[in-house]
Amino acid sequence: MQALEYFLIPWLDLKLLFLVAAGTFAGVYVGAIPGLSVTMAVSILIGFTFTWDVYPALCLMVGIFMGGVYGGSRTAILLNIPGAPSAIATAMDGYPLAQKGQAGEAIGIATVMSFVGGLIGIIVLAIAAPTVSEFALVFQPRDYMLLAVLGILLVGSLSGESLVKGIFAGAMGLLIGTVGLDPLTAEERFTFGLTGLWGGISFIAVMIGMFGVSEALMQLHHVDKTAVKQKISRIVPNWASIRRYLPLSLQTSSIGVLIGALPGTGGDIAALMAYDHAKRVTRNPEVPFGQGAKEGLVAPETANNAAVGGAFIPMLTLGIPGDAVTAIMIGALYIHGLNPGPMLMIEQPQMFWFITGALVLANIFMLIFGLTGIRIFTKIVEMPRTVLIPLILLLSIVGAYAVNNSISDVYWMLGFGVLGYFMKSYGYQLGPVILGVILSRLLDENWRRAIISEQGSIAGLFKGMLTSPLSLVLLATVVLIFVSQTPLWRCVRGKLGLESRP
Amino acid sequence: MHSNRIRSAGELVFHAALFAVSLVLLWSSYGISGFASLSSPGALPMAVAFVMAVSSGLILLDCWRKAERDRTRFLRDILPPAVIVMMLFITGYALLLVPLGFLPVSLMFLVLSILYLRRGGLVFAVSVSLLALILVYIVFRLVFTVLMPAGIVPEAELLAAIGQIFGGGK
Repeated sequence: MQALEYFLIPWLDLKLLFLVAAGTFAGVYVGAIPGLSVTMAVSILIGFTFTWDVYPALCLMVGIFMGGVYGGSRTAILLNIPGAPSAIATAMDGYPLAQKGQAGEAIGIATVMSFVGGLIGIIVLAIAAPTVSEFALVFQPRDYMLLAVLGILLVGSLSGESLVKGIFAGAMGLLIGTVGLDPLTAEERFTFGLTGLWGGISFIAVMIGMFGVSEALMQLHHVDKTAVKQKISRIVPNWASIRRYLPLSLQTSSIGVLIGALPGTGGDIAALMAYDHAKRVTRNPEVPFGQGAKEGLVAPETANNAAVGGAFIPMLTLGIPGDAVTAIMIGALYIHGLNPGPMLMIEQPQMFWFITGALVLANIFMLIFGLTGIRIFTKIVEMPRTVLIPLILLLSIVGAYAVNNSISDVYWMLGFGVLGYFMKSYGYQLGPVILGVILSRLLDENWRRAIISEQGSIAGLFKGMLTSPLSLVLLATVVLIFVSQTPLWRCVRGKLGLESRP
Repeated sequence: MHSNRIRSAGELVFHAALFAVSLVLLWSSYGISGFASLSSPGALPMAVAFVMAVSSGLILLDCWRKAERDRTRFLRDILPPAVIVMMLFITGYALLLVPLGFLPVSLMFLVLSILYLRRGGLVFAVSVSLLALILVYIVFRLVFTVLMPAGIVPEAELLAAIGQIFGGGK
């Protein structure tokens, strides 16, 4: 009963309701405008909402997250440019549909199916998270440490084309997180005698630099490209077509939640797997896949929105981010004094139910905004990059400055922006850097606590891990993920003759 | 853009720089507490700096072995003039933000960047910049109450005056 009370907070407070709506609205546009990403928006936004109370700030960010995942589908359908990685699969059949003059219908179906997927994801979150967090009471420092290691291993799936570059980027993030006075002994680490570095490097500056500035600079390469315009017809889909795709959407939603809940896999992989699933189970599509099959639109859209609810499970209960966006959401929660992880559900259950309530609300607003205002939408999406890029840069500076009213944060942000630009140019992914920064403290503190509690004995630590069932499960998961993400696994698969997925 | 056999312009230098920085950081992390104990403040920094050094070394070696260079040119494909100019603009913005204040510097930055990126059209650049700046100001300064450096613009007095016109004032 009390859970319901917390759940309804964002629904009953007009200000919070408005913020969720505004966030979702902004998210849809941010997700849709090529060049703007949800990661960028949420990281810049942390700077602005820093001084707010936690409830309004969360409402805005949850809205942006939910809207942003959906928004990517819009440009995937209209321009064949996925606004977000999770919309890559949407473009495969969405754009051919638009080319046939069915852009409105495609957007309508994508919207309703995103709503269905999103809702299923949140329901699973509400049921599964409390169960997962019940383990919280028995967590030892070594378990937290293993959790952090588990999180760090995500670099494997965030590394893109080169695992070594991903490992470098992840290690760099961990190192950035250790700069400043050591929280346990106040010893200086990487401060090079500068007192300004005692407080460490603001991770918001790192985030905004890496996702705002570097991305904007990358966009300068495509500044002259113009978008192909599409005509929009009827957008609200008819009931018959929704009913027809509902069974498929339920299947692909479950794929989405599952993939989203696994650490290291997010909406993009969920969408691709769901697309693959739809291809296999649809025996006689009206139109072949890749040429405008609606099944090929339904599957990724349900899955990527269902993955949002899924991704919140490890994020809220274990403190492990599933991808760059959830890593930044964790950062946002830290900033507001919350500690996502096993203790959050125990100590502040209201926060969990509040977030769930805000997510459902955002999902509903996504449906409303998705089915309306399409004319204004096409105008805004066509905003020239020559205006958009300077604006992103301006907002990045304002965002970085706003956190501490410190100009040195702006310099750090610019430095990381330029570094991020070159890293991207030479094939490094920036997700692992943020992952490292976020998990650095968790790993550092719990490693040391764990080893101190074993009187500095590595053997004792391993003995503890092997004798506690919880630690053993975590250790086994760490080993499993490590093996599956290294070339060793590919080698084994190759020998067994298993085909590897692209 | 990348393949496994060819390397882009400037790639080798960049990897070498990362390797050098990693070595410096490794040395610096050793200086924190050396090999004192596994739970020392320097333990994790040293471990991650070591991972950085090894991985950047491997990346450098791999890049070194690539015999062929692709057709990219550094100042055309990796760091084209537009990127350099925008980097300079944004650095200038950061440097002038505190002395001159948010409003004039932002306006200058927006007008100059839009003018440069669009190659002309002063009226368009100024009007779009003004509109964008007003929007940003309303949303972030007034709604989000983000404090930005006022600089040479008597912003507080102006806001107070506007507040008084509407009968309230803060």
